[in-house]
Amino acid sequence: MDLLTGILATTFLAGGVLALAAMGEVLAERVGVVNLGAEGLMAMGAITGVATVAAVPSPALGFAAALVVGALFGMVFAFATVTIRANQVLCGLALTLIGTGLANTIGRSYSGTPSAAVFERVEVPLLSDIPILGPALFSQNVLLYLIYIVLPLGLHYLLFHTRHGLNMRAVGENPAAADAAGIPVGLIRFAYVTAGAALCGGAGAYLTLAFVPAWSDGMVAGRGWIAVSLVIFAGYRPVNAVLTALLFGLITSIGFVGQARNWPVAAPFLSMLPYLGTIALMIVPVLAWQKVRRLMAAPAALGEPFYRDVR
Amino acid sequence: MLQGLRLQRLPSVQPGIALAMRALAIAIVVLAASIALLVAGEDPLALGAQLVSATFSSTFGMEDFGLLVIPLILTGLSVAVGQQIGTWNIGAEGQFLVGAFAATAVGLFVPGPAWLILPLIIAAGALGGVVWILVPTLARAFVGVNELITTLLLNFVAALLVYYVSTGPWRDRVGMSNSSTARITVEMPEFWGLIHWGLPIAILMALAAAAILAFSRWGYEVRLSGSNPSAAAYAGIAVRRHIITVMLLSGLIAGVAGAFELAGTVHRLQGGISNNFGYLGIMVAVLARNSCVGVIFTGILMAFILNSGIILQTQGITTSAVLAMTGAILFLTAIGDELAHYRILRAGSTRA
Repeated sequence: MDLLTGILATTFLAGGVLALAAMGEVLAERVGVVNLGAEGLMAMGAITGVATVAAVPSPALGFAAALVVGALFGMVFAFATVTIRANQVLCGLALTLIGTGLANTIGRSYSGTPSAAVFERVEVPLLSDIPILGPALFSQNVLLYLIYIVLPLGLHYLLFHTRHGLNMRAVGENPAAADAAGIPVGLIRFAYVTAGAALCGGAGAYLTLAFVPAWSDGMVAGRGWIAVSLVIFAGYRPVNAVLTALLFGLITSIGFVGQARNWPVAAPFLSMLPYLGTIALMIVPVLAWQKVRRLMAAPAALGEPFYRDVR
Repeated sequence: MLQGLRLQRLPSVQPGIALAMRALAIAIVVLAASIALLVAGEDPLALGAQLVSATFSSTFGMEDFGLLVIPLILTGLSVAVGQQIGTWNIGAEGQFLVGAFAATAVGLFVPGPAWLILPLIIAAGALGGVVWILVPTLARAFVGVNELITTLLLNFVAALLVYYVSTGPWRDRVGMSNSSTARITVEMPEFWGLIHWGLPIAILMALAAAAILAFSRWGYEVRLSGSNPSAAAYAGIAVRRHIITVMLLSGLIAGVAGAFELAGTVHRLQGGISNNFGYLGIMVAVLARNSCVGVIFTGILMAFILNSGIILQTQGITTSAVLAMTGAILFLTAIGDELAHYRILRAGSTRA
């Protein structure tokens, strides 16, 4: 019983990082921009969270600061990829190097000490007493409700049930047609790349303020890249992205349980599971069902800059 | 003021402008770093002079610098080769690590004379690199799975694997080290000072790759498949087969780089052996605009930047700061490449 509760609780806690970053990536990719800088944005968010709570012990402020820093870096990225229309892959890789390098440089003075303030668990009255599910779902930090309920449902509604969401998807599928219909392609791309980057920054702060409450060098450890892959697997849908993130939370928590219970597998091999699992998720579904490709296809103009005068 | 002028976007990059943009990108980042140092109370000019003298005025400095050139040329070549057919090998870091891992296995556990073991070590490194890129290659060629992400994710797996063996089963029990294997007994022969034969071999590999791509039928087909896959397929070129061979070759080169680093420079397997060489290789390839000859020069340039970071460590600059600076150069280069598509025309010009 305890084991099951523990696995579930860790699943939700660990999945939160990926869910938040993946939703940010969904926003950017739905409007046609691949942001491969998620890893770097998360690193910046993580160190911003730690540095902010070290100055003012408020986790909410730390999270907000990380959102702002993510948005600022997102604007620089959007300026390059949307305004100037530079190569998105190169700019994304560059953003990853900048974010990771800068965060590790700033982080040297915070390394090893626990975060000064963290998001505390909140017990929801009555609900947290439900056996097994209660402690896992209703005795967690408040951010989880934002990540698993408010954001996915809100983004789903925005993307698929509003006029504005239709415009967003049009910009990602066929910017020339969207432009002809009077939709401000550049503005929409700029805005949602920035918003997506803010969520990636938030995911970093979630990492240091709720999940692993301390900064260490290279602690993002590829989670940004896993989030980018999840988006592909989730067919660019926010709710699916969150569900897939939960699957990865489960893989991570199985690794934790294995280490805690001294399974006869060395810890580094358990740590490999999320990466290998991601690769399997990228390959196996497409192998198994060719139809998946059409159903879950990327926005048609993903990765392509829009030149009004050229076409 | 701008009336009478307008911009025209050309379909391809103007190479001269693209090169000038690269120089400008590096200049801007170095200037920004100098200002940051100035604000931190350092004297950037004195540091710069110290850098140049520390690198070039002593044999010791030249050796350190030269040893960095070897892996950077090779990882840059690895990325550049993959780019010939339009594939992104962001996994040179992982292939480098597994190359070093496989080389260590031979170096530690296969007895024999050096003339036999050394080629075996390099072959093992090459094989390690190929094995590590095999799954991303097949997934890309047959199912169209984005190789950029799969190759990258395997970097983390490779790092965990190397960490595991060098702190666990292959740990150096005699030398009381907890984080590296024992020293392998076979070494790359020296070429100049401490710089081993990996340097001339790396340069020869880059030249050979450039020659094969430029003059062979295979190279022509690869370049055609890279610039227009559908036209190549229509012309009867086996694009899929070329994607497979090019990606495997890219992995092989990175694996060889790992084997050279192990057998020539570090001599024992340890967690940090890859030293971001794989990621910096992306930079080397991009700066060279994916020219296989160009990576020789940009590899040297990148080695100088990385070496500067190592020398300046006492001044608070870390390899992380170098990584961030590299990213900034890459970012500005990407912008510069886009701007290099444009040319300014006077209104009414007949060349529009």
